[in-house]
Amino acid sequence: MHEMSLVEALMEALLEAFEKHPNWLRARRVELHVGRLRQVVPEAMIFCFDVASRGTPLEGACLDLVEIPLEAFCEACGHRWGPEDLVFFCPACGSVDVETVAGMDLDIASMEVEEGDG
Amino acid sequence: MVKRVEIRQSVMAADERHARAIRKEMGRRSIVMLNLIGSPGAGKTTLLEATLRKASFRCAVIEGDVATSRDAERIAAAGAPVVQINTKGGCHLEAHLVAKALESLPLDEIDVLFVENVGNLVCPAEFDLGEDGKIAVSSVPEGADKPLKYPHLFHQALAVILTKADLKPHVAFDDALFWNDVTGLNPKAPRLEVASTRGEGIGDWISLVEMWLRSKGEGR
Repeated sequence: MHEMSLVEALMEALLEAFEKHPNWLRARRVELHVGRLRQVVPEAMIFCFDVASRGTPLEGACLDLVEIPLEAFCEACGHRWGPEDLVFFCPACGSVDVETVAGMDLDIASMEVEEGDG
Repeated sequence: MVKRVEIRQSVMAADERHARAIRKEMGRRSIVMLNLIGSPGAGKTTLLEATLRKASFRCAVIEGDVATSRDAERIAAAGAPVVQINTKGGCHLEAHLVAKALESLPLDEIDVLFVENVGNLVCPAEFDLGEDGKIAVSSVPEGADKPLKYPHLFHQALAVILTKADLKPHVAFDDALFWNDVTGLNPKAPRLEVASTRGEGIGDWISLVEMWLRSKGEGR
């Protein structure tokens, strides 16, 4: 259960963006990209966000979690594929020299903001 | 007016900067930094005590616990510089906490930095502290099914250590299941079995750390 500390980091990053843009009034929607390998429980993340955003320009914004599929790359034969779950042998050549190239992401992709005249 | 703005930044960007700075500093000093992760009671502190007693390299330890400085007191008694971090409820260590702890350690005088994470098989696996690698620590009495139940840690571990190996005759522990699952999740990781209180297997563990020390020194 580390969603609260992830939300704290998320709030810090988003509020920093608001400070840089005084004409932004409030956020409507925040899109996060969450890798399939990340152990994030969406309901817990959204609950924490709703609590942490109270009294800030992010209050009431919709937190949208988009799952990013796994992608693996074999260093030995160059095969690139999208496994369903953790896999560590290349299905093409059997090598164990396999890198996970996507699926550990935890990124703020975009935000919809209401702008004022500022 | 509503506008969509691209942000494209990691949620943990601020903490990742701390982790990168730590990794750079440890690289510059050729210090091997290992992040020990395992359940409460897996024997992480006892493994460290046994390591400190036998190792010829110089060590320091950062202890992460929800509360108390008991582990730090044990490490201090074993003769190594140690800093205790209390997370006050937090289930894992983060790089900014480690960065602060490093300020009170004599980095000029050490070769290896052990970070004993908060006892937990889940959350600590998600956070980069700037370490050279995460060491998965699992004990015989916990049962042989832990690797598959907590795959993320075992998948990314630099090495897997099975502790309390001397208890095998007393509990039902399926050796083949444990190590086959570890191989399936992480075929490259070195595997070790230790009985820390008897000092068994500690020599192999120390040799492994010495090998990492040599390769880090050469990489400088």
